Amino acid sequence: MKKIFLFLILILTLSACSTNDYEPIVYENPEIAFDIPDGFPQPNSSIYTNKPTKYGVELGKLLFNDKRFSANNSVSCASCHIQSNAFADTNIQAIGIEGRIGLRNTPPIQNLAFMKFFNWDGSKLNLESQPIFPIVTHEEMDSSILEVIGKIKDDLQYKELFKKAFGDENITAERIYRSIVQYEYTLISANTKYDRVIRNKSETFTESEAKGYEIFQQKCASCHSGELFTDQSFRNIGFPINTNSNEAGRARVTGKPEDFMSFRVPSLRNVEYTAPYGSFGQFATLKEVLDYFDNGVLSADNLDPIFKENDNRIPLTEDEKEYLIAFMKTLSDNEFTGRD
Amino acid sequence: MKNLKKYLLSAVISAAFISCNSNDDQPVANNVTLEFNNTFKDQTIVLGDATATNATVNTSTAGQTHSFSELKYVISNIRLIKADGTEIPYNVNDLDKGATVIDQAKPTSLNYVLNNIPAGEYKQIKFGLGVKNSLNTLDQVRFPNFYAAAGANDTEMMWEWGAGYRFTKIEGFYDTDKKELSIHTGSTVEGEEGNYTQGVDAYRDITLNLPTNAIVDNKAPKIVIKADFDKLLSGKTHTITLSSGTGMDDNATPNVHTAVQMLKFADNLGGNGTNDTSGMFSVSNVQN
Repeated sequence: MKKIFLFLILILTLSACSTNDYEPIVYENPEIAFDIPDGFPQPNSSIYTNKPTKYGVELGKLLFNDKRFSANNSVSCASCHIQSNAFADTNIQAIGIEGRIGLRNTPPIQNLAFMKFFNWDGSKLNLESQPIFPIVTHEEMDSSILEVIGKIKDDLQYKELFKKAFGDENITAERIYRSIVQYEYTLISANTKYDRVIRNKSETFTESEAKGYEIFQQKCASCHSGELFTDQSFRNIGFPINTNSNEAGRARVTGKPEDFMSFRVPSLRNVEYTAPYGSFGQFATLKEVLDYFDNGVLSADNLDPIFKENDNRIPLTEDEKEYLIAFMKTLSDNEFTGRD
Repeated sequence: MKNLKKYLLSAVISAAFISCNSNDDQPVANNVTLEFNNTFKDQTIVLGDATATNATVNTSTAGQTHSFSELKYVISNIRLIKADGTEIPYNVNDLDKGATVIDQAKPTSLNYVLNNIPAGEYKQIKFGLGVKNSLNTLDQVRFPNFYAAAGANDTEMMWEWGAGYRFTKIEGFYDTDKKELSIHTGSTVEGEEGNYTQGVDAYRDITLNLPTNAIVDNKAPKIVIKADFDKLLSGKTHTITLSSGTGMDDNATPNVHTAVQMLKFADNLGGNGTNDTSGMFSVSNVQN
């Protein structure tokens, strides 16, 4: 009896010991509160399968800024997606490694959690499948995901962050994509003068801004609609055509003639900071864009009906252009762009 | 003595087994070689740059001369059909083991050996030109060898095919003034079934009947497949006239063109999937 008792105690002690020994260090990695700003559309459903977490976002931000993603370690995501330009840049077309020129203007990375389509032609429907493309594209980073993993896999800072974000130190392709996207989901811009005037009613427009807002609602808001200032549709609005033979607009993706040279209606949030404008930076300033609309756009079989029905133009007086620009500048978010 | 008998008996039994094995020269499986012969009509294509004098020149139905400097395409999803109709899939979900890039500049790539095909008689072969949607992701981690062969970025992958690999890559020249010709195909399909989807599928499933059954036994047969690139412009589905430029109907130089133009090439090369399931492919002969 004594022996059995002793044995039991021994077992209990051992098992207690072993549980203590195997207790892993568990980091608490809370989900980040994801608040939908008033009036914003519902987020892309993919966010629900990749909810931003504290360390996922921290990791994603570090990866976003890591130049080892490019073949010669010269370019990171952040090289083209610059915070002070609403995560776009000031080049006409994107510039990758060795000064290689891309096909299109760098799109701003803001409020992507609420987008249904990504890239100017909407080639992607969820953000998680996006990060691989700049990595492998010849004119951008010209690398490959295994090359990237090879470069960062022994980095102690990454090992720790992958463990904190995903539970162990394994650096996988999937985790890289997901954490970058978690970071991008947190890039929400909704704190502008416009928001404070219209939504919070804590400020008021100047006279020019108010006039601009009125004109905007009459002449622009049918496409630049809602709180994202885009209806997320694809339209050919007769902008000067990119003569690069790779360009066909959304028709490149869909194969539909009616999508030829159509591009996603851009959000106008932070538009003040995302010059030049157009799919390949055709316009240096907002004034140039408005002048072009006023003078008349290029004809096309699939030109947007709004232009077709109005002699291919949006008539604007010089005063109206000035007011519109004043209004558009109320869409600048100085906190988001770090310009405070 | 008793022991000796036992030894003898066991020796005899062993010998019987061994001889059984060696007598059995019907293997359970053997290799099947697919040989690809890339032609303009009946002439095997010789590649060449714009100044090459020996490059094979073809003339399309529309009267346009053309020649190639580069010619690559992806074969995957290979299935052999037995005489009784049984389908033997060959690593159809493993691009590293079951897919290949045929490259006219690399003679070794023109013979693709299927390993360990079950013995039997085969009457038909099916394969894909390109990569089926479920595998058409640039998953370098899962299929590093195929990625290196077909997806590595020195082929300058296109974002729109982000969905995946380049299926066909043809570079060359057309018309007497040797304008640049650059025809690539790839899929742009995005979206989950049941939800919103978009894009075009350039994958083509090919079915070819064998003129004589291929017999897999102690000999490994070879199936010679002709890929007649005359069909590129003069196909069963489309008669194509090349034109350079950036208009919606221009189709010669753009890598991607609009997907509309690209699909015409895909139809001609790999069939339209309805009344044409062979495209440019046919089986010249089977060597048993």
